[in-house]
Amino acid sequence: MKKLVLLFILFTAVLTAQENYTVSGIVKEASNGETAFGASVFLKGTTIGSLTNDYGFFSITAPKGTYTMIVSYMGFAEKSLVIVLDKDQTVDFEITEESTQLDEVVITAGESERVNIKTPQMSVSLLKISTIKKIPVVLGEVDVVKSIQMLPGVTNNGEASSGFNVRGGAVDQNLVLLDEAIIYNTSHLLGFFSIFNADAIKDVKLYKGGIPASYGGRVSSVLDVRQKDGNSKDFQLTGGIGVISSRLAVEGPVFNDKGSFLVAGRTSYAHLFLKAAGEKNSAKFYDLNLKTNYEINKSNKLYLSGYFGRDDFNLDGGFDSSYGNLSGNLRWNHIFNDRLFSNVSLIYSKYDYDLLLDAFEFEWVASIYNYNIKYDLNYYVSDAFKLDFGTNAIYYDFDPGAISPTTETSPINPLQLEHKKAFETGLYVNAEHKLTDKLTAQYGLRYSSFTRLGEQSIVNYENDQPVVYNNELGIYQAGTAIGETVYEEREEIETFSNLEPRVSLSYQLNDDSSVKAGYSRTAQYIHLLSNTQSVTPLDVWTPSGKFIKPQLSDQYAVGYFRNFKNKTYSLEVEAYYKTVENRIDYIDGSNLIGQNTIETEILNGESRAYGLEILLRKSKGDFTGWLGYTISQSEQRTLGGKAGGPGINGGNWYKSAHDRTHDLSLTVSYKVSEKWTFGANAIFQTGRPVTYPNGQYEYEGVSIASYGERNLDRLPAYHRLDLSATFVPNQNQNKRWTGEWVFGIYNVYNQKNAASISFGQNRETGANEATRTSIFGIVPSISYNFKF
Amino acid sequence: MINTVRIIVVLAIYAFFTSCTDVIDVEVSEAAPRLVIEASLNWEKGTAGNTQSVKLSTSTPYFNNTISNIVTGALVTVTDVTNGTDFIFTDQNNGVYTTSNFIPVVNHAYTLEVIYDGDTYIAEESLRSVVDIEDVYQTIEKGFDDEALEVNIDFNDPADEENYYFIKIEAQDNLLPVLFSLSDEFTNGNLTSVYYERLKDTSIHREKFIAGDSVAIEFYGVSEQYYNYVGLLIDQYNSVGNPFSSTPVPLKGNCINITDPENYAFGYFRLTQVVKKSYTFE
Repeated sequence: MKKLVLLFILFTAVLTAQENYTVSGIVKEASNGETAFGASVFLKGTTIGSLTNDYGFFSITAPKGTYTMIVSYMGFAEKSLVIVLDKDQTVDFEITEESTQLDEVVITAGESERVNIKTPQMSVSLLKISTIKKIPVVLGEVDVVKSIQMLPGVTNNGEASSGFNVRGGAVDQNLVLLDEAIIYNTSHLLGFFSIFNADAIKDVKLYKGGIPASYGGRVSSVLDVRQKDGNSKDFQLTGGIGVISSRLAVEGPVFNDKGSFLVAGRTSYAHLFLKAAGEKNSAKFYDLNLKTNYEINKSNKLYLSGYFGRDDFNLDGGFDSSYGNLSGNLRWNHIFNDRLFSNVSLIYSKYDYDLLLDAFEFEWVASIYNYNIKYDLNYYVSDAFKLDFGTNAIYYDFDPGAISPTTETSPINPLQLEHKKAFETGLYVNAEHKLTDKLTAQYGLRYSSFTRLGEQSIVNYENDQPVVYNNELGIYQAGTAIGETVYEEREEIETFSNLEPRVSLSYQLNDDSSVKAGYSRTAQYIHLLSNTQSVTPLDVWTPSGKFIKPQLSDQYAVGYFRNFKNKTYSLEVEAYYKTVENRIDYIDGSNLIGQNTIETEILNGESRAYGLEILLRKSKGDFTGWLGYTISQSEQRTLGGKAGGPGINGGNWYKSAHDRTHDLSLTVSYKVSEKWTFGANAIFQTGRPVTYPNGQYEYEGVSIASYGERNLDRLPAYHRLDLSATFVPNQNQNKRWTGEWVFGIYNVYNQKNAASISFGQNRETGANEATRTSIFGIVPSISYNFKF
Repeated sequence: MINTVRIIVVLAIYAFFTSCTDVIDVEVSEAAPRLVIEASLNWEKGTAGNTQSVKLSTSTPYFNNTISNIVTGALVTVTDVTNGTDFIFTDQNNGVYTTSNFIPVVNHAYTLEVIYDGDTYIAEESLRSVVDIEDVYQTIEKGFDDEALEVNIDFNDPADEENYYFIKIEAQDNLLPVLFSLSDEFTNGNLTSVYYERLKDTSIHREKFIAGDSVAIEFYGVSEQYYNYVGLLIDQYNSVGNPFSSTPVPLKGNCINITDPENYAFGYFRLTQVVKKSYTFE
């Protein structure tokens, strides 16, 4: 702490000596008052500039003089203003969207683009909701999680799987935040749709590597989704009617124009038609997003955001399952002075899943509660040096499950698995430092700690081995329990702490290109246990503790970045190498449901992934889109360790379930006229690694398949083509009501992509056969979107 | 039981969607044949249990029409460890080895020795008892289809011990038996009820149960180790069309090759009491 204070004094002293002044302010969109994140604000003719932060705030320090300030943001017209910088001052900007024209709009190559090439931040993709809305998807539902899978380095396990995989990492290794609240399950209906309602979302940032020190807790990626603040100029109604679901969002100014609000809801209704048709089963989902803000004065602003979403399955005959996220965040932006911006957030989030099985007369309920406080500061010390620092503390309460009988005659005995509690903290400092005109560095350190707390009784095992290798039978078995240690409420069971350095460097080769390199270390303290090929809602999140160690990852990346033709095209080439220690895998035949002692089913291993990602993007003109290609490998190895024995798969490296050798995605959007825009997606991916049988034998009258080494085979390659057409009928600019029709065809040539291939005896003939399960064939859709 | 629950849950959720399944041609690798020891010594309650058999065979490539090839010329002996009595099983030259003077005693430990092709295989287990079936009856409103008949099996789980069960149901018109396994983890000491509902499935010409259909039920009490083994076997066997199945792993029984450990045998040596009942739907 002392060193930090010293640093401030030093810098401030240096600056005053040069008679520098600071101009700061907020950049907002003129049409609706939404703050602009990542807009470039710079002084024309110099290399002095900054990017706006998450709340639209910028701060520029320069020597005394007269300058033309320029604000530049993709999709918006440049805004300029002449200022006399002879004292510290505040200037706010409102930017307007570029008017649409048939001819390509030419933008003079300004200093603005330099800032982008210059930033050492690599492995990140920023997607604005307008871009996401252009990508055709299944059943016409715009989907954030499906859109990011079109980027290189991001894949998933198939159409009906929840979550996504980044650089060969597992689903639980992604930190998914909705307005800073942690989201544990990003999907509705098991992965068919995501929980993000596009009408309520402003933008999405995906860090595939080079995760800034301000984020911590997951080793593969950070998906930071921010909700819109709400139109502060005018009331606005946005919505859409689709085949499966409909949405409606209302936003407008409140508090005498000192604030705004946004309420957005979405619900599916296919089940209502099914019910009317006599179908007794139903599946439905709904979500509600809300946000409101209030500007107390120029230096203080309050935000309140919330999300509530739910999935409900009901099978006539007594099967009911529901799950969902609930979160809320209260934030206070406080601008100390022209150079110091801060934000404090109080966040609550809850995830729960319920299962009611009348047939077996029991109910199962499990949940995760989070209480989180964050304090983040941005200090714009000088043009060459920016400091971010802050702290984050999270209290976790995991309820792994309570089983209770639902009827008096139920044979089920009530069982409550013990709550698991933990406290995670993070303290970080990050500096962005312009070393020379061409060389910029970003270096930061995060110090994270995780403490597992009681009240809980932890089982003690003979020889401290919860899992033991039985040499004779050649299998892993639960170790012998020799007693338990009882921990009191809030008594410390185990503590972990890690230093996570994050460093990256960028070197500008010329106005249009640069090379970047980076190294980061990340720690992850909570894990999603899933021993199935796809994540299910019954999978359990569990904290590190006596037997489960935190995952630790080291990632190295190098890249080459280039803009061409006045920034119309951009090329990003990145190579990475990532290792993860303490990646859990399950012993053969592990049983995770209702398991109070998970430690008897797992072994600690390691994983490694490396690859090359190429992204060619055209962002201007009537024809836009990108082509992404990744060639990569992801594998893991799980040795016996303390348990003895060879480990899983004989202790050899095996392909992880997320390995995809080739991943090619093309997404394009072509604006033919004011009325018609066409879009297309083309995807090709190597199939997922799987284990196929290598023989059969008879036992108890049936044919049993025998299996060999893990993940040696692959599913057939996945590929498809989607098309969409958007029709805007009314071109009258003065009319309040605007609407568009979106026609889509998903999987145009009806490719039956295998979600899984399973083997078994034909129940009629007794012959062995391979059965392919595919999710979507050709699916046409129509939806209508409106804005009022 | 929880695994069965999980399978039902995910299959149910899956049933909603437009997913389709079709049979395709796939190439799989061929492992060398391995000995299969199906040594299930079942003592039917109320009988002497003296006649027992052990089946030996070898595995074949997955898509072969013949599931197993029979093994002849092996030597099969079961020994009661408690009193040292040996029971020799005689080769019937058709893959089955039998004896008619076996003496089953509940909770006695037994070892199996199979000598085949120069290798000696050993397995150890103890004989498990099973409670009687309280009642077998039919219902219609349980399960997933309100109009499909179910056959129910009720039994009283003993409260003072950990119990594991294996149930095999052969229904007329079913080519293959239906296999279940369950433990008393959540139902210890209670009157436990298990049911089997046959759902209509036009793709395999299967109908619901109707009056006059009969089923043959075999209710076994097994060891915890066998329960783990057969649970995994049933899980893998039922994984057809289920994208949420666990990663398939090699099934390891309790028959160890002491001559060449790498060359373990498939199958299992188990000794169990069994209750057999048949039921005809009304």
